[in-house]
Parts: sequence; C-alpha cells; structure tokens
Amino acid sequence: MADATTRFFEDLDHRGYEPLLAKTSGVLRFDLHDGPQTTHWLLRIDRGDIRVSQEEAESDAVLHASQDLFEKLVTGREHGLAALLRGDLTVTGNPRLVVRVERLFPSSPHARGPLYYREGAR
Amino acid sequence: MAPRHNVRILDGSTFVVSETTGDIEATPSEPTGFFSLDTRFLSKWVLTVNGERLTELSYDDLQYYEARFFLVPGPATHYIDAKLSIIRERVIGGSFRECLTILNHDEKAVDLEIRMDAAADFADLFEVKDEILNKKGEFYTEVEPDRLRLGYRRGNFRRETIISSLEPARYDRNGFAHTIHLEPNEQWQNAIDVRTAALGPGGRELRMGLRVQRRERPALQADLAEWLANAPTVNSEHDHISATYRRSLIDLAALRFSPLSLGGQTLPAAGLPWFMTMFGRDSILTCLQTLPFTPDLSMTTLRILAALQGTRFDDFREEDPGRILHEMRYGETVAFEEQPHSPYYGSVDATPLFVVLLDEYQRWSGDVALVKELEQECRRALRWIDEYADLVGTGYIWYQRRNTETGLDNQCWKDSWDSISYADGTLPPFPRATCEVQGYAYDAKVRAARMAREFWDDPAYADELEREAAALKERFNRDWWVADGGYYALALDPDGRQCDILSSNIGHLLWSGIVDSDRAEQVAQHLVGERLFSGWGVRTLAEGEVRYNPIGYHNGAVWPFDTSFCAWGLRRYGFAEEAAIIANGILDAARYFDGRLPEAFGGYPRELTKFPVEYPTACSPQAWSTGAPLLLLRTMLGLEPHEGHLAVEPRLPVGMGRIEVLDIPGHWGRMDAFARGRLDLHKLA
Repeated sequence: MADATTRFFEDLDHRGYEPLLAKTSGVLRFDLHDGPQTTHWLLRIDRGDIRVSQEEAESDAVLHASQDLFEKLVTGREHGLAALLRGDLTVTGNPRLVVRVERLFPSSPHARGPLYYREGAR
Repeated sequence: MAPRHNVRILDGSTFVVSETTGDIEATPSEPTGFFSLDTRFLSKWVLTVNGERLTELSYDDLQYYEARFFLVPGPATHYIDAKLSIIRERVIGGSFRECLTILNHDEKAVDLEIRMDAAADFADLFEVKDEILNKKGEFYTEVEPDRLRLGYRRGNFRRETIISSLEPARYDRNGFAHTIHLEPNEQWQNAIDVRTAALGPGGRELRMGLRVQRRERPALQADLAEWLANAPTVNSEHDHISATYRRSLIDLAALRFSPLSLGGQTLPAAGLPWFMTMFGRDSILTCLQTLPFTPDLSMTTLRILAALQGTRFDDFREEDPGRILHEMRYGETVAFEEQPHSPYYGSVDATPLFVVLLDEYQRWSGDVALVKELEQECRRALRWIDEYADLVGTGYIWYQRRNTETGLDNQCWKDSWDSISYADGTLPPFPRATCEVQGYAYDAKVRAARMAREFWDDPAYADELEREAAALKERFNRDWWVADGGYYALALDPDGRQCDILSSNIGHLLWSGIVDSDRAEQVAQHLVGERLFSGWGVRTLAEGEVRYNPIGYHNGAVWPFDTSFCAWGLRRYGFAEEAAIIANGILDAARYFDGRLPEAFGGYPRELTKFPVEYPTACSPQAWSTGAPLLLLRTMLGLEPHEGHLAVEPRLPVGMGRIEVLDIPGHWGRMDAFARGRLDLHKLA
C-alpha cells in the first residue's frame, strides 16, 4: 500500500478546505496503477472545499500515474509538470484541474530554500 | 539567432524558420526548422525537381502565419530562362501546410520527378545551436502507403511528425516523390500536411484534453482582423507614427501565445522565434506597455502567472512560495530535468511587477472582480518580497542562484553575466541587489495598499504596506544615492557597498516613484544627458564607465523597451519635455526598421552613425520592443486613468505634428485623444 499517497489524500480530506484551490471547482480522479491493479482516488473540489473518496466515479479529468511515481510526487521527490511533459503522468479531460492540484505537491525533502547570507539575516 | 534572410512564420509557439527558397536544412549556425512545443519536428525539408535544387526569384511573408516562394529549377545565375516555375505557399495554423504549384511554360510537354526530402532530429530548442550528436532516446521511421511517420521515443516521451500528401506519392524513409507529366501551359498542384504529435503512454496526446486545433487561413485572417479592429486607431500627420503603431499591433498579434492549460486565451510571449513562450518579466512589462491599447492581454497574463505562482521550495527551479515564474518550456531537456523550466522561477522582478500590473490594469479597466480574484496571490507575492527575497536582512530584494548548474546568475532584466559591476569594472559577489527591483517593490507596496483599502476591505493591511513602503523609500535613498554623481547606484553587494555606476536603471526608479522629489531633477538630467542618451535612446550603461561598450548587450546598447520605461518615469515626475526627447529618439529609430524595433541597437552617438546600428544577435520582433512605441504614445499624450476617467495631457515635439488616438478602451468605454506637437526640443537639448 502506498502510504504517503494515502496520507496525502487523508490530509486533504481532514483539512476540508485548501486556499490554493479557492478558485477551483471540479472533480478530479486519480487512477494509480501498479501492474494490473489500479487504485482510485476521487477529489471533489468546490471553490476550495474538498471531499475525498475512493471511488471510480465520473470526473472532469483523470490523472494516470504509476503508484510508485505518485508516491514520489506527494513526497516531493518527483516534479509533477516535468513528469507530465515526459509522459510518465498523463491526463484526460480538463488539464486546468491538474495544473491547480499539482501546486499542492510538497517541497523536496532536500530543498534548502533561499540562501540567506548570514545567520539571522532572516 | 536567425539571419535576416531567413523566413519565419508562426502561430503561437508553432513556427517555421526556413531559407528564402522555403527549404530547411538545419545546422547549428543556421537553426532552421519546423518547431512546436519547443521541439524541432522537421530539420530537413528540401524540394527538388528532376534532382535539381531550386532558386528563389522572390518570396513574401504575407502575414505572420503565411509565406509564398516563387522558384525556378537550377542554381542562381544572372540570366534566368526557366521553362518551369514553382510556387510554394505555406500556412502555419496549429499544423504546417504547404501548397505546391508547378507550371510548365515550355511549348513541349515535360516529365518531372518532384521530390521532397524530409527528416526530423527532434532537437530541443535548447539544443538547436549545438551539434546534436547523442540524443538519449531512439528514432523511428514508419513508411505507410499514404503517409510518412518520423518519430522519437525516450521512455514514455514520444514526439512524431506525420507527413501526408494530398496527391498520391511514393513514400520512403527519407521523404516522398511524385512522377508527373505536364503538357505545355499545364500546371500541377499538391497540398502537403505536416502534423505534430506529442504522445504519452497508450498514444495519448500530451496536449491533453485540448483539441490541437488546425486553424485554416480564413480563421487566422479573421482573428487578425478582429484583433486590429478591437484596438484603438492611431492617425498621425507623419505617416511613420501610425505605420509604426500598426506594425507593432500586428507583431503583438503574432506574439500571442496560448499556454497548454489556458484553453485558447492568450498572453504575450517574449520574442520570435526562439522565445515563443511565457516569461514572467517580459509578459508583464509588455502588458504594462500595451494596457491602453490591448488590455485583455493583461487579464490573461495575470491569471496564468497567478495559477503557476510558487507554492513550495525547489532549488533546481528556484521556486519559493509566492514567487512568480520566470520562464516555461515544454521540450525534452525540461521534461527530463536537464533544464529547470517547468517552470523556472529565477527572476526577482516578476513578483513585484505582478502586483504592479494588477493595480495598473484595474486603474485602466475598472475591473474590480480580477483584483478580488487575485487578492491571495497578491498577498503571497508581497510576502515573498519580505520573507524569501531579503537574503541579507537589510530590507531589500536580493538574488543568489540556488541552481548553480543551469540557473541564472543575474536574476534581473540585465541578465548577462557581466551586467552588474563596480565602478572599477570588477564584478561583485552574491547575493546582489539591483536598484530597479527595489523600486518595483516600493511601487508594489504602494499599489497593493490602494487595492487593500479600496477593494479588499483591509485598511489595516493598507496602512502597514504604506508604512513599509515609506520606510523602504527612506532606506533606499540613504543607501543607494551616489552623492558625487547625482544618481542611484546600479546595485549593492552583500556588505552594502555600492556598484556606483551610471545606468539606465535609474529611469525605472523614476517610473516606480521611489526617487525623492528633490533628487528627481538630477536623475532626469542624466537620462537626457550625453553620457546616457545616444540621440536614439537611453544607453543601458553610461559612456565613460569601465565596462561601457556601444554594443555591450547590457553594457551600453540601447534597448527600446528600457527607454520606454525611462520616458514613462520622466513623465511621472513631471519632466514631460525630457520624456518627449527620448520618446522622439526611439520613434525616429523605428523608421529605420520599418516600424519594427529590434531588441536592442548600438549605443553609438546618433550624430556619429546617422542611423541606429542593430545589435548583432537581436531577436525580432520581440514583445517588449514591440510594446515600446505604444508606451511612448501613452507617455507623450499624457494618457492617464483618473478616478474612472481618461485624462489626456499631450506634450509632443514640434516636428511630430498632429496625432490622434481613437477609441481608447477602458473604464470610460471608448475615448479619443488628440495631440499636436508644440515642444521645441532643440531649445531644451
């Protein structure tokens, strides 16, 4: 079972509202493949309000990825838009939803962030 | 860059660069080709008749999306007595379509072997100026009865070129051919279609749910006509002003770019042909220049930049929460993270300029809804300025790249490696802070305060922003002023030492309003003085500085866009005559380029060269050069939105005669502005 993936969706569900999606509405389905097995996650977004379920229902867009890749996306070890350009992640339906949700993926665990000049510069 | 004799046509980010015969034979020094999604889909496209190459009699690039070539067989000679003529007509509208007509002028019938050699190297735009030796993926070719498929595959990354001819053809791995028979005065026609595909697993199009629209010539024509009809009309006593305006409008139409995720809405790309993509800085500055004429571009630009605003830390892409992107690309090197443009965030000016554009857009359009829609993005941008950009802790925006392999050294508009130096010519260490960016930050805070008070219902935040802005202005005027020169330093090093050289950046400071009013006169006199003003425009670096070179990209060349912001700044502080002097210089220069200002031209004195010397590798048309005449018109006519009305206060030089701008769109509906030249510039200069 992909643990970080589950945590990612459960966390969204607990928060119930995501300000980065305040202008977004729609249903986005994630079809995460592992060999013949596919796990479904469904994100219903209503101007920032989020409901998460695990059903294979109709949606405005479907994002397809391997479970392994998605695990890396939600832990910041892979980059969503680069994966999309590479064809490792594909989308059917409204691409705008995916561009919005991609913004929720976290920083890399190795990211240092801004290079402050000296201790206490910040 | 493409030499002048190359023919370029485009539609959005799909474009063809070819020789004047219409042929394509790409080499690193002649990077011709058919490009889409930052990938070269044709690197060879050579037409022969009976094994002979063709010579052009003439060609026309009729519109930005179509071109026509008149050709005869054989090598060029002084005397051409051809019995055959060949016409190639091509249109770019999503895909690439070429119509071929062959006419037999002979009194005898002829048998002809018509052949097109075709190949695709699928080079990334970042690779086209290098020898492409070891692509990491594999090439494939599929010869089908009715088409030729050229492909490239690397993992799940797949790009294909699909070539099909309307007339039956014999396809082989290197192209296709026809054998035809023409009676005297008979002609033969064919239409060739070249389509691109960006495929993921299972053959899914990367361009996602979007239909890759094939737009035919009538649709393209109607689109351009509508674009021109919607923009204000400029009539001038001297034809070159209205001609330059019209050229600029058409070039702006050509430079419109529709990002993958935006469903057909457009924003200005940076430049043709190599920069047909979104750039935070270039797109925003172009929008600021063109707001009085084509306001819709601003709305789209703000929306797309907001949608891709940074949300996390990424050292490779130099992303931070709240940061506005620098450049987006779609090619192989970006997909495989050999380049960081997915998107890349390495600029420090796009973020404050984003806030500036939103406010300026509202003042023109009256569109309060967008200001409300983008409130959170604005707040995040302002937070970035204070929290993540102040690397030294002195209250300024600094930069130091985290991506030391492929990131940009200088993250301001003068982004070449040697653009920032001390007076002795040596380069300062990092982090660096450049002056104009501090001006943008000041302006962003002042403008955001107005938006907070009037539209976000947050007067406390407005007060806070105004306090911060006032403190920044005071600090800046203390730390950056070069007292013995009477100007502001170009930059500070991390220990607060000044790069005390005289540069065009001080014009941007006037535009932003950060200049103390008792110092404005000195700054204004520098901008029209001999060291900075060449007679055509404002030099990026003043004559007499160690690194000054009239053809130094950011060290002496004149950039029309840069000068246009200097003029706006002069006007803002009440120096209308000085603004008119430099506006007049740039509009005069435009005459030498048929109204199409290049990216940059040499900083040589006007009286020395008599004509503006184009910068050797300049890209043209370039969006912010195209926008420059529009901003200069605004500046000279004194167009200013004022409480929902359009104020007009023209100050034109005498020689400019009468200018009228009709149907200026805005909060007020449509309004006209009239002006007549009354300023005697010779008395001033």
